[in-house]
Order: sequence, then C-alpha cells, then structure tokens
Amino acid sequence: MVIERRWKRWVYFYAPLTLFVIGTLFPFYWMFITAIRPDHELYRSWRAVTNTPFWTLQPTLAHFQDLLARTTFPRWLWNTFFIACVSTGISLFCGLLAGYALARLRFPMAGTLGTAIFVTYLVPPTLLFIPLADIIRTFQLGNTPWALILTYPTFLIPFCTWLLMGYFKTIPKELEECARIDGATRFGAMIRIIFPIAVPGILSAGIFAFTLSWNEFIYALIFISSPERKTVPVGVVSELIRGDIYFWGQLMAGALLGSVPVALVYSFFVEYYVAGLTGSVKG
Amino acid sequence: MNTSKPEDTPLSHTQVARRTFLKTAGVAAAAATGIEGILAARRAPAFAQGTKLHIVRWNDFIPEADAWLKKEGMPEASKALGAEVTLETIGFNDLQPRITAAVQSGAGADIFMLYYNWPHLYANSLVDVSDVANAVAKEQGGFYGVFEPSMKVGGKWLGMPHSIVGNAIAYRKSWFKEVGFSEFPRTWDELRKATAALKKKGKPYGQTLGHTFGDAPTWAYPLLWSFGGAETDKSGKKVAVNSKGTVDSVKYMTALWKEGSDEGGLAWDDSNNNRAFHAGDISATLNGASIYIVAKRQKDKLKDEKGEPLYLDIDHALFPLAGAVGQFPLYFSNGHGVMKYSKNQKLAKDLLRWIHKKENFEKWFQVSEGYSVAPTTEWEKHAMWDKIDKPLQMFRTAARKTRIFGYAGPSTAKSTEVYSKYIVVDMYANAASGKMKPEEAVKWAEGELKKIYEA
Repeated sequence: MVIERRWKRWVYFYAPLTLFVIGTLFPFYWMFITAIRPDHELYRSWRAVTNTPFWTLQPTLAHFQDLLARTTFPRWLWNTFFIACVSTGISLFCGLLAGYALARLRFPMAGTLGTAIFVTYLVPPTLLFIPLADIIRTFQLGNTPWALILTYPTFLIPFCTWLLMGYFKTIPKELEECARIDGATRFGAMIRIIFPIAVPGILSAGIFAFTLSWNEFIYALIFISSPERKTVPVGVVSELIRGDIYFWGQLMAGALLGSVPVALVYSFFVEYYVAGLTGSVKG
Repeated sequence: MNTSKPEDTPLSHTQVARRTFLKTAGVAAAAATGIEGILAARRAPAFAQGTKLHIVRWNDFIPEADAWLKKEGMPEASKALGAEVTLETIGFNDLQPRITAAVQSGAGADIFMLYYNWPHLYANSLVDVSDVANAVAKEQGGFYGVFEPSMKVGGKWLGMPHSIVGNAIAYRKSWFKEVGFSEFPRTWDELRKATAALKKKGKPYGQTLGHTFGDAPTWAYPLLWSFGGAETDKSGKKVAVNSKGTVDSVKYMTALWKEGSDEGGLAWDDSNNNRAFHAGDISATLNGASIYIVAKRQKDKLKDEKGEPLYLDIDHALFPLAGAVGQFPLYFSNGHGVMKYSKNQKLAKDLLRWIHKKENFEKWFQVSEGYSVAPTTEWEKHAMWDKIDKPLQMFRTAARKTRIFGYAGPSTAKSTEVYSKYIVVDMYANAASGKMKPEEAVKWAEGELKKIYEA
C-alpha cells in the first residue's frame, strides 16, 4: 500500500510539479545564461561540438556593464517604476470603489454595467492608441510620464474593478450588515469591515495592475519620444535592436534586470496573492 | 557695481523694435533664400525663440551613423537653423504605429523617415517637398530610378529621397572554393549546383522565407522579376502573376530549398541568418552589409574554423543572379516626409536641405561606409568607395537597377498591402515547404492578389 501511494505521489504530484517548475523558470534561466555568456559563445554554432547551450564556463558581466554604461537603462527602470506605481494606485482606488458599488449596491443595470466594464478591458490597445493619441495631444501630455499614467488606467481600472467585484461578492454580506446594525454608515462599513477583509484581493489586483503597467509596450512607444523618458520594454527594444542586429547579451541583461522588481513584488506578497485568487472568507 | 549682463536688463522699446526687426528680417531672408542664404550669411536665422524640430528615424544598422547624427549632425543643424533639432531613433517596425498615431491625432514629430513607397500610404498627411527634392536632384546628378515610383505621388515629391540600403549575398569564399567556385556563382543554375554540394558538406545556403521586413521580400521579389514574373500588368489593375516565368521561379525555389538550403529558414526572422552565418552554420545568405561589418567589428570574437578573423573570408556577390530577363533587386529606398500637421513645415524643409547639402551629407555618408548608398548617382564617384573594404565596394552601383514592389504596374497602396501580407513570399514558402505544388502556389497567390488589385 505504501509503495503504491509513493508511486502515485510521484506520478500525480512530483512529476507534473517538476515539469511545471522547469517550464516556468526556464525562460528566466535562459535570460540569465544568455546575459552572462561571452560574445564568442553567443555566436558559436549549434552544431559545434564545443557548444554548451545550457551553461557557460566563462561567465561575464560585460553585457550588464555595457547595458548600464551605454544606455540609460537605470533611468528607464526608474521611469517604469514611477509610472507603474502611480497608475496602479489610481486604478486600484477607482477599481475599489467601482468594484464595491457593483458588488453591493442595488441599482438598475448593475450587472450589465459590470459586464460592460469588463468588455472595455478586452478592447486591444492596438485599436485604442489612435483615439488616445488624440486625447493626449488635446491635453498636451505627449512625451511626459502623465501620458502613460493617465492612459494605463483605461485598461487597468476595468481589470481591477472586475477582479475586485468578484472578490467582494465572496465576502458575506452579514459582516457588513452587522456593522450597520451597530451604527456604522455604508461608507464606514466599507472602509472598516470590507476593505480589511479584502486586502488579499486588493493586493492581487495591485500586483496584476503593476505587472501590466510594467510590461506595457504600445502606449509607451507611441506617447513617449525622448530616449531618457522611455520605459524599460520600449527602451531596451529600441536601443538594442538595430535592424537585423540583435545585441542578445544586453537584451537579456535588460530583460533580467527589468523583471527583478516584478519578481520582488510577487515574492513579498505571494501569500496574499494566493489568498486573493482563491477567495476571501473560508467557511 | 553692476554685474548684470546687458541681456539681463529690461528691454527698451527701441531694443524690442530692433530685435523684432532682426527676427522678421532673418525669417524673411531665410524664406527667400532658404538654407543657401542661411549658410551664406554664416548666421542662424532668428526663428521664434525655443523653436523645436523633431525628426524620427530608424535605428540605423550602423550605430556610428546614428552616433554622428546625434552628437555632431543635429547639433550643427540646430546652430545653422537657429532651432533645436531633436533626433529620435526607433525600431523599423515601430515607425508605422508612430506615424499612424501622429497622423490621426495631428501631433507628433515634424519629420518621419519613410520607406519604400510609404508616401503613397500617407499622401494626405505629407507636405509637398518637390522644391527641396528637385534642387538636390539637379545639383547631384539625379535620383536613382526607384525613387520616382516610391516617393512621388501625383507628380509631387511627398518624400525626400535620402538613401538606399542595398543588400547582397554574403558568402564564405573558402567554402565556395572547396566545391569548385573560385568566384560566387553568376547564374541561378550555378547557385543550385554550388549550394547542393555545400549542403552535402553540412554548409547549406541560408535564406528566410518567413514574415520578415527585410530578407524574405528582398529575396522573393527579385527572384520573381528575374524569371520574368510580375504581380500585375502595366496598368496595375490586372493581376498577371500566373505566368510561365513565375511558375519557373517557384519551381527553382523549391529545388534550391530541398537541395541546397537550410530548411529551418521558413521560421527565420531577419536576425537568424546573421547569427547562422557568424556561427558558421551556413555558407551564404542574402543580407545587407551588416554581417560583414559586425564580423569586422568583432574580429577578435568571430573566427573561422582556422582561427582567422571571419571577415577575411567573407565577400559579397550581387543579387539577384542572372535570370531569364535580367537582374532587378529590391532595396530599401529611404526618404523623409514632412508632416502636414507640423507648425514648422518651412523649418523642416530647411532641415532636409541642410541634411542634403553636400558637405553635410558627405559626413554621414562616409560614416555609413557604403552600407547606405546616397539617393543620387553623383555619389558613386565619391572617393570613399575606393577607400572602403573590397566586399563593401560592390554597393557603389548596386542601386541602379533596383525596383519597387507593384511591378509591372505602379507602386501603390495596394502593392504595399500585398507586400505587408507577404503574399509573394508565402507563394515561395508554400511551395518550398511542400505544402503546395509550384503551380498550386502560384494559383493561390493569383487568387490573393486579385482580392487586392482587382477588388
């Protein structure tokens, strides 16, 4: 019996888990190994007997040095961080209020409105950038961080609203009703009872929003023109790809360094994040 | 003690009037004489204080060319024009979204770099720059033939021809010698023989037939033209692709693919052949000069199998090879367009004049080392061509026969749609991959072209 259980555990748990972990982490490993691989190895033939695609015996930091010295990567990193933080903050604030209203308040067409908000999230940025460019011009925000800070919420608010609306629905109404019987206003109950319980949901919405802002490309490409004001995804691609020449070492170093802040955010809040995705109050 | 500078003191009415007069006179003089007057006066024209001009170009394949423009060229232009000229460089594929957004919103860069026949796509949003173009053409020996169908719309130059980026077959001299070719094959049949022998030795020909902006179309269209094929008739309204010439070219491609090519090329992008060549995986490939230039720049890292610098074993051969009707390449024909929404259209034109002034253009031209050919024929005589490496010298006259897609009809927005949908490239890919027989692939392409040209 014990042998059978161990066998099943390996087949149904460890083996799939191992495959999942390899599949998830391999891109990061590939970024890392390419970023520290010297140029002469990057150009080595795949068919060469000396080819070692999965490791290197001569690691180098030259690509990181080139990235930091020859481009304005630290500046791009700061721009991305600032824009992602502010647009996430704005989107979370709006998403919280809208999500709560759609989940709790009774008003005509509430369900339809919730669906409509989600549908706006599905409109691709490749269509939206043209009318948004017109708005950015009208408000003279072109080539400023505010062009992105104010356009990112167009897809972040619907996303946060939808995610938080679902989360609020999992919180029993009775908790809020008890507070109101005890004399709390709806706003007070929302702030003091519901929001503290919803912290995992708020954090997971925040993490998602932060990641979406961090990785956004098309708006950052269209609305920002000065090299020193670019974000990491646009800066790395526009400075390190020249026609058919790809500076792979520096590109991977940039991708690796660019993913560090997102990884840190995830690692700090992973427990809340998991709780946020799996529901609020356990019965 | 009064330490303030004269310009710190409040201006009197007289001073204001004098400055206003000078500004007006400067603008009037510049308007009357253009860049010639500005340069003759050795003084920057007095455009409104803080006037800015924004030009967007691609990331040049030669980083030194961009470096020169940013560090020397544009600062010098700023001084000459009396305005702050900002150069922004972005990836080739990112130019179209930027132009589209700028046109739709009516705001953005004053000048955009344009490729191929883009002036036809943005005709309603571009300023007529015929005055600049005609003057440069007259002074510098006339533009290459490809520019007229590319950049002239309705008899007006809507794009100012700037340069041509040629491509050629980069090949390993010693490897071709090993299979009996001391020079690169001159005909398609010779190429087939040579690459078949090389593939047997594990050194195939490398060519992408993927959806790439450069290497795949610049192979497919010249192959089509070389065998006598064409997208349409001369009117551009009747599809003529289903011809003996086209079928022969597709049959040839299918044979070359199986016998002599790296069959992984169906999934390659524009960078894969560079890497494969530098890694010694392929014996030859159609490319710009970037393979040679990178190999030379990294001569300590890129070595051949004998340990010698790889670039010493690289040469370039003219593409396409001799076919039934001639040799007509498809090169990047590049230009600049002044946007109609720009509030500084005159200044933008002056910048174009400044760029094309011989002594200014010469500096950029020399930094490019032959990778970018000038738009006019006179530059073929420039002394630079005798000084640069021999493999780069073949680009000197390479632009003479280049065509633009849409042939045999005019190059229009419809021909750009065909190009953007990779119909001609896919015709060859469908046959080479074995998905269709050559005749079926041509029939398929004919159907797709009719949806566009005859709709």
